[in-house]
Amino acid sequence: MSSPLILLPGDEVPSEYLPSTNSAPLRLGAGLRLLTQPSSNPSKPPSHVIAATQPGILSTDNRKNAASILSTPNRRYIPTPNDLVIAQIHHSSPDYFHCMVTPQAPHALLGQLSFEGATKKTRPMLKQGDLVYARVLSMGLGAGAEVELTCVNPATGRAEPGGLGPLTGGMVFDVSIGMAARLMRASSSSPEQQEAVAGLVVLEELGKKLEKTGGFEIAIGRNGKVWVDCANGGETAVKSTVAIGRCLSTIDEHDLNPTDQRKLVTRILREMKIES
Amino acid sequence: MNKEASLSIAERDFILNALREDVRLDGRQADQFRPLTVSFGEEHGHVKVQLGKTSLVVRISSEVAKPRDDRPFDGVFTIALELTAMGSPAWENGRQGDLETYVINVLDRVVRHSNALDTESLCILKGVSCWNIRADVHITDYDGNLIDASCIGIMAGLQHFRRPDAVVKDGQVIVYGLDERVPVALNITHKPLSVTFHTFDEGKRVILDATRKEEQASEADVVIGLNNAGDVCYLSKFSGSPVDAMVFVNKSSVALEKVKQINGIIDKALQTDLAKRAKSGMAEESRAENDREIH
Repeated sequence: MSSPLILLPGDEVPSEYLPSTNSAPLRLGAGLRLLTQPSSNPSKPPSHVIAATQPGILSTDNRKNAASILSTPNRRYIPTPNDLVIAQIHHSSPDYFHCMVTPQAPHALLGQLSFEGATKKTRPMLKQGDLVYARVLSMGLGAGAEVELTCVNPATGRAEPGGLGPLTGGMVFDVSIGMAARLMRASSSSPEQQEAVAGLVVLEELGKKLEKTGGFEIAIGRNGKVWVDCANGGETAVKSTVAIGRCLSTIDEHDLNPTDQRKLVTRILREMKIES
Repeated sequence: MNKEASLSIAERDFILNALREDVRLDGRQADQFRPLTVSFGEEHGHVKVQLGKTSLVVRISSEVAKPRDDRPFDGVFTIALELTAMGSPAWENGRQGDLETYVINVLDRVVRHSNALDTESLCILKGVSCWNIRADVHITDYDGNLIDASCIGIMAGLQHFRRPDAVVKDGQVIVYGLDERVPVALNITHKPLSVTFHTFDEGKRVILDATRKEEQASEADVVIGLNNAGDVCYLSKFSGSPVDAMVFVNKSSVALEKVKQINGIIDKALQTDLAKRAKSGMAEESRAENDREIH
């Protein structure tokens, strides 16, 4: 694939841009949808096209046989199955926790037993304002459909991919949806590739610099939330967390290139008086 | 759902813990404003204010109206502010929330009741006609500290606004168009601004210009309104937990410093705008000192 393909909502994805390496089914990510077009000739089967529902750059992954739209830094999150999100518990009912994925949007449902190893007796007791890292299981069909979340992989019963479940301590920072998607892509690829894949070196850089002070833990929600915790940071825990949050939001707002990102990290850590 | 989404427990705790170490989420000091820009539009009295991520537009307008019966010598000055869905998804059009009533109340007290705009100068003909000055505040983005941002916008707007000239001739009121006679600036008696503080940790930590998250995590807020001379024209602490009296005393001096600083920013913006207009507009031509050609 030579140049990036920019799509607008409603554009069809040309088939030569899609991964075609193996026979495994193609996985569609955020911003893409399979549309069925009835053919004009009734004897022929209807044709299928993959169309974009959001504007952005098409990104494909040959290894996982997946395609998705790398969206622009917008603010509105539309749930898509398999997205990892950070949700906030709003209230609970006998069967479900009602969670807030986007403020002022209808609540998403998270089953009381959708946690790793949860039974009626061992299920986590979450209260209002608690945070969970969850996966979007389904988003329902039609208007008024409820989004369902889960913290386990239904096939294995484990909290996969790693770290799903309640988030304790730490701090949540708001970033744009596009930034969250880029961070997600950067963190899922190896450190050497991060720059090439998403143009982001900030996490790797922060990881290097904050290693001495105990490192940090990060969870990225596709709904534009980033949870950061420096539990091992000791005295500098709060400062390191704030520094990470400031780095992320500045890069998001000013769309910095890798060189500037490195400079920014150094500058902010110096400003916050964190030794690296 | 006309309600701000509540903060998570983690955020609330973190903001408080960070403040105990004198750290704010955006790396500011406790007594530091976010970057403020004041800019003016094409017309007089059209102001854009950007305070961090909070942004708003103020539009001052004037019309000739009948003075109120009980105050025949006074003009009318009203401040209109509506929190619409344009500013934040938490606000609904046409429904008044607590925040809206609160902000309007404070603005009324700081700007209107302190007589920043001399309403007597707005009288054209006693009991018959006067100027009705109206300040419309439109919030375009909301990230906390609405009161201070609106106050800055209104005061900058009042100083920037020019109303049409009007004269009384044989008991008749004549209003000249903006291109017929040089429009007149409003008579500003003093320049009050509000400074909002939020308290945390049982009143031990006090910060100013809080963001939306900080506002939500705070215990109480204190609004101090004063002018460049240090005259306190407004002081309030409506709800929330108790605040020590010394906070008011100490923070008044901080507020004075901030008011001077912000008034400086407004003055500078006004001057740049005036210089720009002088270059392009008719102001220079229509000066009285200009040579007249006599035919």
